[in-house]
Amino acid sequence: MLDSMISLVITFAILAAGWVVFRPERGWFWQWQRGQKLTAKVLQEDALKHIHQCETHGDKPSVNSIAGALKVSPDEVTRVINNLEAHDLLQFEGGDIRLTPAGREYALRMIRAHRLYERYLADETGYEETEWHDRAERFEHTLTTESANQLAARLGNPTHDPHGDPIPTASGHMVEPQRILLTNLKLDKPARIIHLEDEPETVYAQIVAEGLHIGQVVRLIESSPQRVRFWADGDEHVVAPIVAANIAVMEMPEAPQQAQVKGEALSSLRPGESGRVVQLSHRIRGAERRRLMDLGVLPGTLVSNEMNSAAGDPSAYRIRDAMIALRKSQADMILITKEETQ
Amino acid sequence: MTTYPLNNHEEILNNAQSLRWEIGADFHEKLMESIYTDASQIADRAVIRPDKKPRFDLDRTIDKLVTSRTWGFPLMILLLTIVFWLTISGANVPSSMLATLLLDTVHPFLKGVSASIGVPWWIDGLLLDGMYLATAWVISVMLPPMAIFFPLFTLLEDFGYLPRVAFNLDNLFRKAGAHGKQSLSMAMGFGCNAAGVVATRIIDSPRERLIAILTNNFALCNGRWPTQILIASLFVGALVPAHLGGLISALAVVGIAVLGVLLTFVSSWALSRTVLKGEVSTFSLELPPYRPPRIWQTIYTSIIDRTLIVLWRAVTFALPAGAVIWLASNIVIGGNSIAGHLINFMNPFGLLLGLNGVILLAYIVAIPANEIVIPTILMLTVLVTGATGVGSGAGVMFELDSDAQTLSLLQTGGWTLLTAVNLMLFSLIHNPCSTTIYTIYKETGSKKWTWIAAVSPVILGFIVTFVVAQVWRLVESLL
Repeated sequence: MLDSMISLVITFAILAAGWVVFRPERGWFWQWQRGQKLTAKVLQEDALKHIHQCETHGDKPSVNSIAGALKVSPDEVTRVINNLEAHDLLQFEGGDIRLTPAGREYALRMIRAHRLYERYLADETGYEETEWHDRAERFEHTLTTESANQLAARLGNPTHDPHGDPIPTASGHMVEPQRILLTNLKLDKPARIIHLEDEPETVYAQIVAEGLHIGQVVRLIESSPQRVRFWADGDEHVVAPIVAANIAVMEMPEAPQQAQVKGEALSSLRPGESGRVVQLSHRIRGAERRRLMDLGVLPGTLVSNEMNSAAGDPSAYRIRDAMIALRKSQADMILITKEETQ
Repeated sequence: MTTYPLNNHEEILNNAQSLRWEIGADFHEKLMESIYTDASQIADRAVIRPDKKPRFDLDRTIDKLVTSRTWGFPLMILLLTIVFWLTISGANVPSSMLATLLLDTVHPFLKGVSASIGVPWWIDGLLLDGMYLATAWVISVMLPPMAIFFPLFTLLEDFGYLPRVAFNLDNLFRKAGAHGKQSLSMAMGFGCNAAGVVATRIIDSPRERLIAILTNNFALCNGRWPTQILIASLFVGALVPAHLGGLISALAVVGIAVLGVLLTFVSSWALSRTVLKGEVSTFSLELPPYRPPRIWQTIYTSIIDRTLIVLWRAVTFALPAGAVIWLASNIVIGGNSIAGHLINFMNPFGLLLGLNGVILLAYIVAIPANEIVIPTILMLTVLVTGATGVGSGAGVMFELDSDAQTLSLLQTGGWTLLTAVNLMLFSLIHNPCSTTIYTIYKETGSKKWTWIAAVSPVILGFIVTFVVAQVWRLVESLL
């Protein structure tokens, strides 16, 4: 009896320890492995990126701002900065930290790797939107210039990352578009979302939860210190100003057609009802999008709900004389206009 | 728009560069969408469709029935039960006919021939008792159920019913992070895991397909049903009065199969949240119109495509396995055969798992085909216990005519109810057979996934049997 007790306890202890050490993402082993990667090189590269970001936004980088961005002590930052200066990547001009041309090139290379990798995650993998930034943040330090070029070629030399940020070209060329924060947009003026800031994470998670995405046409209804109210693709959204300030838009000259069409989700069709496709949401990406287009889910296609499964989800739709079953989560992202059934 | 002289490519490239920034991020998508839309509009204008048939009335009616909230699931369970029942009961007769022919007639005949022409005993033993017998076992146990199950399954598929099963079950599989079509490859796995792995080709999403491949092993395949049924009726059925024995042992086997289905869901769920996180995932499921099945064509193709291919792979693995079993039981080192040494070596570990060394060795040599587990266990038990009056020599696989004989032989080998229960569990949760492993490698083209598919179930099996054994002993000592 004692034997069984002891061996059971030992087994469960081993299993529990294995879980603590190796459980996905937060296991000690993975954390330790990630910690290993936080080497001097990573700190230097992150510091360069931060300084470059400050320069493009017209802010002045300081030891404290770097320490905040990198989450390390100011002493550590001083060491990093001295090292970078020794390598001619930055210099001090009258007390200000400035990048040298070599430093700027290095920073752009990091930004290119980061944004390319985010593009890759969005187009060719199944990771959640909220995970892209963190993964790219880790991966950018291992991507060589050459493999970054190969990745770019494979992705069709994309110009923007999935958050709408421009990707520097191999020669370090990058155009920052004119951005207006959603909070500063004029009332009732149509504008297109061109950037969703992915930092800080909690705010970005709220943006994702609202279902907002790049390319969406928005119209501001109300902007006050308490809340920001706006239309996006036929839906009204209300967010806190701090969230709205992380959404950048570009004013649009004339009201495009799509802004006027009020779409409903395909999933709102009941069996027997039909509708015409208005558009596929941008959140259907990569392989999924191609698959739906192959099946003929395109603007103008007539789609009718034929039946729901015995479990309620998925539903079968008649698309171009074929019966295709789609899950509710997919049908939610296909916008249609209802049609009278004959 | 400015025009540039053609020889000035530097400038042209720069111009292209800046234009690229202006057209924005999603021009690829826009372009693709407009090409598709144009194509579909041209097709709508140019293609004349014949007048539509009266709107698929029969199809509608069948669909209403098979996907209805009330009747959908009971109908599905009924149909699948009929398929399994036809397979198991229908295979009994041809299986025993094949066994009589291959084991009781051809084998003695071949032995007689080789004795009359004076073949050395070790060649005769290696070829006839080892390789021939193992292959004959595999064929007689495996061929009839597969030749019944696969055509039946293909008929349902051909008729158009199986996609509706996937349609109904998708919600359940979605919650486990898998694809509804996995229900089909899982059902196919009840026939043969290798065929089930091949059947995952119908899943077009890479991530969901890998989940289906890695978890197919938890569908209790035809090669394992006989083990389950025999052990359940010998040990579990014996616990209750004779007239209830059949029912209780059948329930025990069904319980193991249901446990396998539950494990499929749990492991799919775990895989999709850990190692398979981030793999591309898409979903679409076509529900084709119902068609009258083409019976002869179906039988022909399913026998050629599925049955024979799987059988051929099994045979190519069973031949060397038979040789290994015979050699291991007949090569004697230091007064004991290799098999004896291995059994003694593994026995302590086996007992810790509530099994024994014989079972573990049987599972190692039966990696090529689970069909030979019971014959190998019986042969090795005779070898170890030195029981007389049963079997026909070292390395010769056999099965006993009566259950009572088998039971008493196993009890001589130290078997208890715990051994039986854990053997049933281990038979469900262990590495896939080598045919399946090879098929997984062919289908995934990846050594990594093949390793994961081969090793993780056996580790899980060790953990499960160990915990059951220890808890069992604990409870036993308390009572």
